[in-house]
Amino acid sequence: MSVLQFKETTLPNGLRVIAEINPEAKSVAMGYFVRTGSRDELVGEEGLSHFLEHMVFKGTERRTAWDVNREFDEMGAKYNAFTNEEMTVFYGAVLPEFAPRLLDLFTDMMHPALREEDFETERKVILEEIALYQDRPNFVLYERAQAAYFGRHPLAKPVLGTPESIAAMRREQMVNYHARRYVPGNMMLAFAGNLDWEEMLTLVERLTTDWPRGQAPRNHPPFEPQPKALREFFDRASQVYTAFMAPGVSARSEERYAARVLAEVLGDPDNGRLFWRLTDTGLAETATAFHHEFEELGVYFVYTQCDPEREEEVAAAVREELTQLERGGVSEEELERAKLKTATSLVFAGETSLSRLFYLGVNFVYTGRYEPLDAVRRWVMHLETYHLAELLERRPFGRALEFRLVPGHDET
Amino acid sequence: MEIFDNGLAVVVEPQPWNPGLSFTLLVPAGAVNDPPDRLGAASMLETWLWKGAGPRDARAFADALDALGVRRQSGAGVEYTTFSASLLPEGFSAVLELYADLVRRPQLPEAAFASVKALALQELAALEDQPPRKLLGRLRREAFASPHGQPVEGEREALERMTAAALREEFSRRYGPRGAVLAVAGDVEPGEVFRIARKHLGSWEGATAEPVEPRLSEPHRFHIEQDTEQVQIGLFYRDVPPGDYDFYAARLAAAVLSGGMSSRLFTEVREKRGLVYAVSASPGSVKGLGYLIAYAGTMPERARETLEVLAAEIARLREGVAREELDRAKVGLRADLVLAGESSQARAAALARDVFVLGRPRSLEEVEAEVMDVTLERINAFLSRHPYENPWIGTLGPEGVGA
Repeated sequence: MSVLQFKETTLPNGLRVIAEINPEAKSVAMGYFVRTGSRDELVGEEGLSHFLEHMVFKGTERRTAWDVNREFDEMGAKYNAFTNEEMTVFYGAVLPEFAPRLLDLFTDMMHPALREEDFETERKVILEEIALYQDRPNFVLYERAQAAYFGRHPLAKPVLGTPESIAAMRREQMVNYHARRYVPGNMMLAFAGNLDWEEMLTLVERLTTDWPRGQAPRNHPPFEPQPKALREFFDRASQVYTAFMAPGVSARSEERYAARVLAEVLGDPDNGRLFWRLTDTGLAETATAFHHEFEELGVYFVYTQCDPEREEEVAAAVREELTQLERGGVSEEELERAKLKTATSLVFAGETSLSRLFYLGVNFVYTGRYEPLDAVRRWVMHLETYHLAELLERRPFGRALEFRLVPGHDET
Repeated sequence: MEIFDNGLAVVVEPQPWNPGLSFTLLVPAGAVNDPPDRLGAASMLETWLWKGAGPRDARAFADALDALGVRRQSGAGVEYTTFSASLLPEGFSAVLELYADLVRRPQLPEAAFASVKALALQELAALEDQPPRKLLGRLRREAFASPHGQPVEGEREALERMTAAALREEFSRRYGPRGAVLAVAGDVEPGEVFRIARKHLGSWEGATAEPVEPRLSEPHRFHIEQDTEQVQIGLFYRDVPPGDYDFYAARLAAAVLSGGMSSRLFTEVREKRGLVYAVSASPGSVKGLGYLIAYAGTMPERARETLEVLAAEIARLREGVAREELDRAKVGLRADLVLAGESSQARAAALARDVFVLGRPRSLEEVEAEVMDVTLERINAFLSRHPYENPWIGTLGPEGVGA
């Protein structure tokens, strides 16, 4: 593992390029990380970031949609893309011999043709994707709870948009959004695995010389969580789905590893406090917690799923556990266990080039720093109970949103 | 690979570059050997095992694993239950000792039985909120005439009637070393692994269930009425079993159908017509029988067209595949193999399954050679001899889907 080498540069057009090179790896992974997502959408653009992510695969001036799909498969690439509130990421892994070709393809794709005909076909696919998630109560819970928690803050927007916003979307809106957000100063190209840095750099420089330069701003309006409890009906649910959301720390904060370990103490699926209180006792099939980080803020998210007749009992138990954690803190033994488990996960996150790429890329987009997995592991192992106590002193759970999605119809 | 005197097979794949180690312990207790009046027993048993083993109660057991930094996964399936762990290599012996307690000396405490049952019932109820899983489970059930179609999550009545005594009986009838497999991948030395495995599992005793021959029913259609946004569509085709001469030809045909985004189903159903977000065809198998399951989800007004295009594309395989399609399928499978080879978890799971299904592990090199060996003539001869047609067809949604 000592063979890892980190490289970083910024091209004249403003595109940042980074690489974690491992000459012993059998594959290479690469990806474009675009700092854009649902939070950057204007009124009438709801779902546009994700719709554009789909359209990026539909061809360029040089390539048809079929060419794009065929070329990926000719390299045997494992590839995909995802969009969330703050990032759109296009990624793939191949055998090292295909690296130049994959880079050429991804780089070309960053300026999609956005053909009208493809736009109409893909609109239908997106509407199917939205319908698919409407059949999953756990997803509906997540979307509604996030909207309720963030209120008028841009992080409240649904990543997929709505059937109405997608139906009304016009191609020109996408062209404008692309010109505004897919600019080199707002993008990063990252590599992980077995690659020739100089070769990749020369190639990407040549391929991107005529990219129009630019930066893309992002709004960070103030946000103050309001404690509240909401209960909504969903006629496709047969179980009760509950979320608690409480203020955590941001993806740029030094405290984020402590916050993740705190969430692990609470919500580890095999040995967390919620497991023993709710799952081991048979009250709730699922009871888990994690810490989700955004650019300027973070959220502790607690999730449970239970039978309708247990609704009140489960919610009361979660509230009690949160209060107890906030008042009583974390014991030495609990912290040691959570640290060790987190550290092991970090070792396994380093196994494949693709998982290294995500770790490297996402972290760098937020912090602008290279944090090798080994170093992160050492930081985690150095956490002390007072680090967690400092987080709890801010009384995050006293400001929690409690959101329940329950079977049935609205009476109104 | 070594087979101990008690019947346990132990297989090791050294990955000297890997900082971690993963193992999978496979026990041949699954839904297939759940008695008809005890459907769901294997799955309940798996949950119960974690409630204390050897000298430790549930909490002490979980703490002991956490103190070794273990990431664990376990679950019952159709044919077997697996217990997997990912850890740092130096902890291997200590962790295997704990897992040996789990399968050899579980406490199966009476006090935990009620909550185990409550969880099983909840899991079953929650299936209603997962339409794709619900449909595909029912599709297996319709297609298999043998117990291979039995639901892993069980049935409400059987779960409600289950007693602690019955489940203990199921444990002593099915948790033994014969037919069980321990597969290890990571930075390990095989001799050392065999020695440690022998120490903790060499004297393991106990019965295991008799293997069950898979049989299929006559192809037919069914519909499950449920108020959903999308209609779920599933098709089940008979395919060649693992170990068959044509096995890799069939795998490549499935890749032509549904391997990458240039595959036939993605191109015809999604890219050209925009009928779906998700469409796929996945090969699957039980010991002695292979199958191919195609899946799509779409809104009701387009369900009929989706089903027609899906079935027609699969039937069209009979006419053969083009050279470029075969080449892409081969490159894709090769890349899958290399990428899977990077992960110790993926390798341990695959090796355990190989030994269970085939009686021996396949190296990545062997699989690659077999894949490369399939020529255009061979795959097309296979496809004309073995057409994919006459499937079992299942749908789930607000209304039935016309033929």
